[in-house]
Amino acid sequence: MRRFTSVSAASPIDAAVRLDAEGRRAVVVGGGSDLLGMIKDDLVAPRVMINLRSIGGLDEVRVGDGRGVVRIGGLVTLSALAAHSLIAATYRAIAEAAGSAATPQIRNVATLAGNLCQRPWCWYYRQRLPCFKHGGNRCFSRAGQNQFNAIFGGGPSYIVHPSDTAPALVALGASFRIVGPSGGRTVPASEFFTLPSVDVSRENVLEANELLTEVELPPAPAGLRSTYAKVLDREAWTHAVVSVAVSLVMGNDVVQRAAVVLGGVAPIPWPLPAVAELLVGERVTETLAVEAGRLAVTSAEPLAKNGYKVTLTENLVRHTLLSLTD
Amino acid sequence: MSVDSVSRRSFLKRSFAVSAVAPLARVRTPASAQGRPLAPRAALTLTVNGESHRVDVEDHWTLVEVLRDELGLTGTKIGCDRGECGACTVLLDGLPVYGCSQLALWADGRAVTTVEGLAAGETLDPLQQAFIDGDGPQCGFCTSGQLMAAKALVTANPNPSRDEVRQALTGNICRCSNYNRYVAAVMSRPTARATERDPMTTVGRAVPRVDALERVTGRAQYTGDIRLPDMLYARVLRSPHPHARISRLDTSAARDLVGVTAIITRENCDVIWSSGDRSHVRYLFNNPVRFVGDAVAAVAAVDRHTAEAAIRAIVVEYERLDFVLDQEAALERGAPSIHPGGNLAVRGDGARAPEVYERGDVDEGFAASDLIVEDTYVSKHHSNAQMEPRVTVARWVGTELTVWTPTQGIYNCRRDLAHDLGLSPERVRVVCQYMGGGFGNKNQAQDSDLIAAVLALDTRRPVKLEYTRKEDSLGVHGRWPTTQHYRIGVTRDGRLQAIDLRGYSGMGPHRKSSGGIAGIELFRCANVRRHVYPVFTNMTVAANFRGPAYPQGVWGIESVMDTIAHELGIDPVRFHLQNLTREYNDATPYTSWALEECVTRGAARFEWANRWRRAGSDTGRVRRGVGMAVGMFAARLGRSSAVLRMQDGHLWLHIGVTDIGTGTKTAMAQIAAETMGMDLADVTVVWGDTDRAPYSVGESGSRTTTHTGQAIVEAAEDLRRQIIRLDGLVGRRTLIAQATPEPTLDGMARYASAAHFVEVEVDTELGGIRVLHYIAMHESGRIINPLTAESQVKGGVTMGLGMALHEELVYDQATGVPVNPGYYGAKVMTHLDAPQIEVHFIEPDDLFGPYGAKNVGEPPIIPVVAAVGNAVFNATGRRIKELPMSRDRVLEALA
Repeated sequence: MRRFTSVSAASPIDAAVRLDAEGRRAVVVGGGSDLLGMIKDDLVAPRVMINLRSIGGLDEVRVGDGRGVVRIGGLVTLSALAAHSLIAATYRAIAEAAGSAATPQIRNVATLAGNLCQRPWCWYYRQRLPCFKHGGNRCFSRAGQNQFNAIFGGGPSYIVHPSDTAPALVALGASFRIVGPSGGRTVPASEFFTLPSVDVSRENVLEANELLTEVELPPAPAGLRSTYAKVLDREAWTHAVVSVAVSLVMGNDVVQRAAVVLGGVAPIPWPLPAVAELLVGERVTETLAVEAGRLAVTSAEPLAKNGYKVTLTENLVRHTLLSLTD
Repeated sequence: MSVDSVSRRSFLKRSFAVSAVAPLARVRTPASAQGRPLAPRAALTLTVNGESHRVDVEDHWTLVEVLRDELGLTGTKIGCDRGECGACTVLLDGLPVYGCSQLALWADGRAVTTVEGLAAGETLDPLQQAFIDGDGPQCGFCTSGQLMAAKALVTANPNPSRDEVRQALTGNICRCSNYNRYVAAVMSRPTARATERDPMTTVGRAVPRVDALERVTGRAQYTGDIRLPDMLYARVLRSPHPHARISRLDTSAARDLVGVTAIITRENCDVIWSSGDRSHVRYLFNNPVRFVGDAVAAVAAVDRHTAEAAIRAIVVEYERLDFVLDQEAALERGAPSIHPGGNLAVRGDGARAPEVYERGDVDEGFAASDLIVEDTYVSKHHSNAQMEPRVTVARWVGTELTVWTPTQGIYNCRRDLAHDLGLSPERVRVVCQYMGGGFGNKNQAQDSDLIAAVLALDTRRPVKLEYTRKEDSLGVHGRWPTTQHYRIGVTRDGRLQAIDLRGYSGMGPHRKSSGGIAGIELFRCANVRRHVYPVFTNMTVAANFRGPAYPQGVWGIESVMDTIAHELGIDPVRFHLQNLTREYNDATPYTSWALEECVTRGAARFEWANRWRRAGSDTGRVRRGVGMAVGMFAARLGRSSAVLRMQDGHLWLHIGVTDIGTGTKTAMAQIAAETMGMDLADVTVVWGDTDRAPYSVGESGSRTTTHTGQAIVEAAEDLRRQIIRLDGLVGRRTLIAQATPEPTLDGMARYASAAHFVEVEVDTELGGIRVLHYIAMHESGRIINPLTAESQVKGGVTMGLGMALHEELVYDQATGVPVNPGYYGAKVMTHLDAPQIEVHFIEPDDLFGPYGAKNVGEPPIIPVVAAVGNAVFNATGRRIKELPMSRDRVLEALA
């Protein structure tokens, strides 16, 4: 591994100020499990590593302020998140997503913020081919081995967003707290992620001197049900071929509000507003679920080798919706 | 002694006369007392296994590096260094983490527990004892990681369910694939005995491995654990292109780095790696480079980070050449030529022609056929992926070379090293005490052995050369991909009339192995024609991987046979019984033959008659189906030696084996104890060192039990005669006996055989294949140790399931770059992927081999892919003709 200097941040602002000063030579680190591998593989070559673990208070889940808002610190580990009683009971999709990522060893150190901000796992990016994500001018997957690449929202890069927690958080209406050198801002989770057609060099709205510090969940309405389901190409330690987070607010057995967000199929967590619209006001029946599955993939644009992901998506959306009515 | 000897001489001239020829790299004055360049350092306090340590670390050092290199706690292993395998698992404040994915800095002030901290003095942790009793460790390289993950689990949950164990351990890959054993051990539930034959006194008894204690405590020393005074670290620079000419190679910047002591390239090293290619001269570094991962240069430096920095500082300019990846396309007119003379490997007789086997007349056979099935099957490059990446330590004392290396054969490694370095074999010592698997890719001398030896000679210091996991995936070798075109004719009543195979094996650019496609010999048929083309391509080199030519070949032919049985409306079991081989290639009698019994007893145990329905008769989303396939593997006899030394009632068994994880040492000790009439506890095995143990054949071809075991029997019989001559009054005498038998088969064929039966469930909507039930019925002669033999079968089957379902090294067709090397990308089987495997042994009498033992290592992987493919066909009525049978191919087949 290349040599670098490690410094500890005293606060989120301190980390942002250091990032600002160091520019692209610096990285922030939470759990580090992916970052260290990327440094070893020469995907990134930081001179300075800013350690966020030294910042207090970011590794807690807090239910605050009487309104029922839940704040999840960016340094909360995936295993802590999956085991958190409130999250598991009320925001099940998040617990399921966090608890099914990677392996126990990784979940014990991987942080929520790190999971949301992880770089692509596209084969070509990880093998350091000079693609858009490495500052190059092409996407090797577009005409290459694209069996795991995007069927929605692709172009010019066809990566898929690898995070399990991201679709769950988007489906549950989360907001992300971002801190920069001169203060903070909050963006809805649904606006955090960036399509390659907007800016191919990044996966989210974070500037080089900003970091994601906290996730805020709106109060859980009565009748909230959510789940996260994914299809893997082996049973563990791989990223979703296709995943879906579904969040329904039920009243009198009828869907009052809905969100359906796909993972593993697009460069960002891919919301399906038309499917959500279809569900609202309806009972979830087999017929409705079939219709939802079909609607989910009407705008899919598969590449040469990932047409099967269209089938998978359609079927997974249907199964997952029905699983929420059990 | 022609071309080779000239090259060797030029190597010797340069290397043995160091003073006369300036080495390429200067040895620079180191910047610190240890010769390490200066870098940011932090002092931290680590509490490891309850003991507090103050350690000076550099910021970028990982926790596992510090544990191993600074604290000497080498029980924790590095398998991938990327958080993909779990071998480095330690507990950090009680939670399992990957030590490779944590900076040492981050553990400051925290409590670390390693495998060395599990036992209290000599009292083992109950988990360690359960791992010994339940045969958890095979090669043992993943064992400490499995133990640490299990320890965290049982501390939180003392009575976990099977699924809880699998979930908790799923971040720990075991490439010996002993998942069933590990899970049972954590649950303290050893599995039932797999053989029905009554044991002898020691042979046939399910005793734990004689070296299990070392493997569960972290005491077993693997090559990577060796640290010699003044030792340098080496790294290799590899080609990013599949085919290119190196037009410029500038090492000056690398040479100028503080701490760099030697750099070798094609320009200053012309050592030939003779076992790296049977048919062409293959230097350690070649120009042109012919595959992504081809070695370009090697560097020795004071530490591994400096060596890595030096590799990055070497400037190479490449002129890219056209490349070809596919084994069939490589023979087409106009394909880029990888070697002068073309891409078809030259045969042993010098002809540039396919390997041909023929009997009868296939045209007559097809004329007599009522049904002819033609089909093509395509298998892929499959990585051995053994847990321990390639590593070598080399040291010269004068003109004597010692090489510590994970090798499957210390003697064939020594032979090759001596040959390639121009030394007499007596001046080379090869040591391999413990090794972390290999499955065929650690045989003979490896390039790492030669590179380390050359660097050690150049620098006059010991050198440790470590390959990364990616280098191991790309720079060593895996199973050769094949394209198999079959045409098989049969009569209406299911009698085979003709078998015709035209097959292509992609060897990469070098031919290290045969490249055969085996399986036809499983069937009786008067008219057979097999043409196999071993082809050079610009994929990574392919050579031996467990049952080398069989799993892919048996998948092809058993799939066609299954199709025929289906077309004729014949139950596949009946079709097999009707057509199975009775004599090898219908000509040579077998010493003992139980293939038919494997099929009939396996089918009975599986309740085949109740489970089998006509293919495609299941409907609905999730469809079940059953499949079967058979396999055989030669149980050869041949030369090996054993020296037995008896003193004060104790027996020392000197044998040149290495124990790759198969349990060889244990089986050999059992054979010695049995023949001598001694207790196993009174036998000590001396192994894995050419200075201390005599010739053994090498742990390849599943031969050790028969070769070395027979030598032990004969030496022990000699020793017993000596004792009888002394009327048993041995006193303080040391008695020594040795034997080097060369048994022959008297014109017969000797084969182990197997029949596998599997039930799968295919999810027609999500494309997943799940194995519900697996029975492996094996005949391997007499089983020396049912415990370790059963582990071998479970492991082989599980590995085969990976090949069937999702493992594949994928190449980008446009750039020739492999895109998914490593455990994550190539989707190696995990705990959660591994089903329960039920194993049974049939033990007929066989008059050859020690106590009638045959072989166990390779047969289990042979029928697996075929059985699964046939079960998928039975479930869905669709056949997947390209491996692996991943979701995309399942859904495509069903579309």
